[in-house]
Amino acid sequence: MQPMGNVSDTHVVVIGGGGTGAAILYDLVQRGFKATLFERGELTCGSTGRHHGLLHSGARYVVKDREVGRECMNEVRILKRIAPEAIEANRGIFVAFTEEEEAYRETFEEACAEADIPTQWLDADELLAMEPRLNPTLRGGVMVPDGTLDAYRLPMHFFAGARQLGAVIRNFARVESFVFEGRRIAGVTVRDLRTGTDETVACDLVINATGGWAGKLAAMADINLPITPAPGTMLAHQGRLVNNIIERLRPASDGDILVPQRGLSIIGSTQWQSDDPDDCRVPDADVELLTNAAIDMVPDFKDTKYHKAWAAVRPLAGASSTEEEGRELSRDFEVRNHGTLDGVEGMLSLTGGKATTLRIMGEKTVDVVCEMFDVEASCRTADEPLPNYRQFFRHGVLV
Amino acid sequence: MKERTVAVYRTAKKAVDEFTVPYNERTTILDALEYIRLQEDPDLMYRQSCHHGSCGTCGMAVNGEFVLSCIKRLADIPEDQAVRIEPLPTMHQIGDLAFDPAGFFNEFPDDITYKRVSDVNTDAAVPEDMEHYERFESCIECGLCVTSCPVTVDWMGPAALASIHRMIEKNPDEADTWLDRAAEKRGVEQCTKDFSCSRVCPTGVAPGKRITLLGSMIKKREKARASEEKQE
Ligand SMILES: Cc1cc2nc3c(=O)[nH]c(=O)nc-3n(C[C@H](O)[C@H](O)[C@H](O)COP(=O)(O)OP(=O)(O)OC[C@H]3O[C@@H](n4cnc5c(N)ncnc54)[C@H](O)[C@@H]3O)c2cc1C
Ligand code: SF4
Ligand code: FES
Repeated sequence: MQPMGNVSDTHVVVIGGGGTGAAILYDLVQRGFKATLFERGELTCGSTGRHHGLLHSGARYVVKDREVGRECMNEVRILKRIAPEAIEANRGIFVAFTEEEEAYRETFEEACAEADIPTQWLDADELLAMEPRLNPTLRGGVMVPDGTLDAYRLPMHFFAGARQLGAVIRNFARVESFVFEGRRIAGVTVRDLRTGTDETVACDLVINATGGWAGKLAAMADINLPITPAPGTMLAHQGRLVNNIIERLRPASDGDILVPQRGLSIIGSTQWQSDDPDDCRVPDADVELLTNAAIDMVPDFKDTKYHKAWAAVRPLAGASSTEEEGRELSRDFEVRNHGTLDGVEGMLSLTGGKATTLRIMGEKTVDVVCEMFDVEASCRTADEPLPNYRQFFRHGVLV
Repeated sequence: MKERTVAVYRTAKKAVDEFTVPYNERTTILDALEYIRLQEDPDLMYRQSCHHGSCGTCGMAVNGEFVLSCIKRLADIPEDQAVRIEPLPTMHQIGDLAFDPAGFFNEFPDDITYKRVSDVNTDAAVPEDMEHYERFESCIECGLCVTSCPVTVDWMGPAALASIHRMIEKNPDEADTWLDRAAEKRGVEQCTKDFSCSRVCPTGVAPGKRITLLGSMIKKREKARASEEKQE
């Protein structure tokens, strides 16, 4: 793999080493930019490593938003091609356990069809033949191309690609402030935790890819960025009970996704609101709620052993004051140019998105960067297979 | 919530710092470190990602025992025992509890795959366009086995050798090529059969058993080759 396009002297700093930062970084160096990424902890230590691990075909969102559904489906096709080792070969089944859920089938299938998400109806017998541990009161279900993804190894594929093409990756390096030249950001001040020293790094553009922390980073540049940190709990039990992801055939709600991953069964999630994206302590009530929700779908869950309950923060775009509103916010993502929006040049922020859509978030962001710097280079991240995540470590220790 | 004092190794001091952390029956070592980083010292270095024993980043030594800090519960350490958290000793230290695993990953041959056929509900029907379900390997590449291993010579180590054995399980017809790798000087022959690797493995990979199995396969192959030569 060689960088293509105009090899540019433009230096871009990416803040945030989650999946979004990883995909942006890879796309930047592939299109010929010089790029450096700073992550305050270990790579993927934010929401990225901790999420549920559902590769979204878009079916979960499609009734509300066809475009988000279509985009997810497209990304699923691409990710299976470019990073097959990071995705288990299985499917998702939206199961109708109740009459109400069965009645939702038509709305759901129609929406999927409009967004080009393939579906297959399985009647009760077919479904139980496929997943014998499901609650036998079920009425049938719709199979979609959802899957299990490795929350850590998928973004590490992107980091491996970025490193191979010469991106500089600095973990345990926290961005502390921005360096201004008038109303333009000209660099960042970084604390290197390895050495305990501060340094200033000059750049032509900063990309704020800090997920749930994006509002905090923006505030450091005196920019008001509406973002709602909304954590949710997941619960893992020991024992893989199903091979497909089991979801409920109804509008998204708490405790309606059971993901098999390795030898675990993981049920999620819930949602609450937090002022501080770092505060992810699991509410006691969530554990009981999720346990019961899993038993409802797969009764054998009650005989499996508790493994871990944990939470991750959703970087929802937009500010919201109530929990109900929080769920209504679009799950789509946005690239915000603070030059045009807030009069602060030299900085873009990303808000929203999903782990599944990391690549397209990278593409859309770098499209904006190319336009800003008048660079003609088209995105190739969908076409070239990524190096395996282990290749990341072939380049020696990070310094 | 109850409270407890934990001692955490700090590189800058070459000694531990003590912190008091709140805990309940679910609180893990990693949760305690998160609390310390957020409330007391934002510069505390440790690795973390998944928080549920799947990524393999968070290995540490807790009272000398090599564990995944995201799974190890504070409540499982008797209250009259002190809690001392240190980095995994054999890894490339980069600060406090954090290490860089490059050396560990370099031992894995390039073409090791990471998925295998699912082992549950094997009689169940599969979607039409699929032969069988696949799942990720159990090995989360945490390096606890390598850290626990008493062998001090430079060798491949239990995790990489276990991955070679898995490749033979998955592709019996490629056995010869993989056995060549395992039979290298830095391979199976360095194992002293201590089995600490298997005891410490958080996901039941049983690297010790796999190395032993590789050893017998290599012996069997040698014998077969020797008798072939005799006949000729
Ligand atoms: C409960 C829950 C379940 C979910 N399940 C799924 C799912 O099944 N499938 C799916 O596709 N998506 C899922 N998501 C969404 C997904 O987790 C996120 O969309 C995705 O991980 C966001 O990635 P990111 O890189 O934008 O943010 P993050 O991964 O949070 O990365 C931001 C990074 O910025 C770093 N940072 C912050 N401040 C600084 C600083 N000053 N200097 C340097 N670095 C800094 C942080 O340490 C962090 O690593 C889920 C989310 C939640 C909350
Ligand atoms: S074999 Fe077990 S201990 Fe060793 S790296 Fe794999 S999961 Fe960790
Ligand atoms: S944080 Fe992933 S294994 Fe512990």
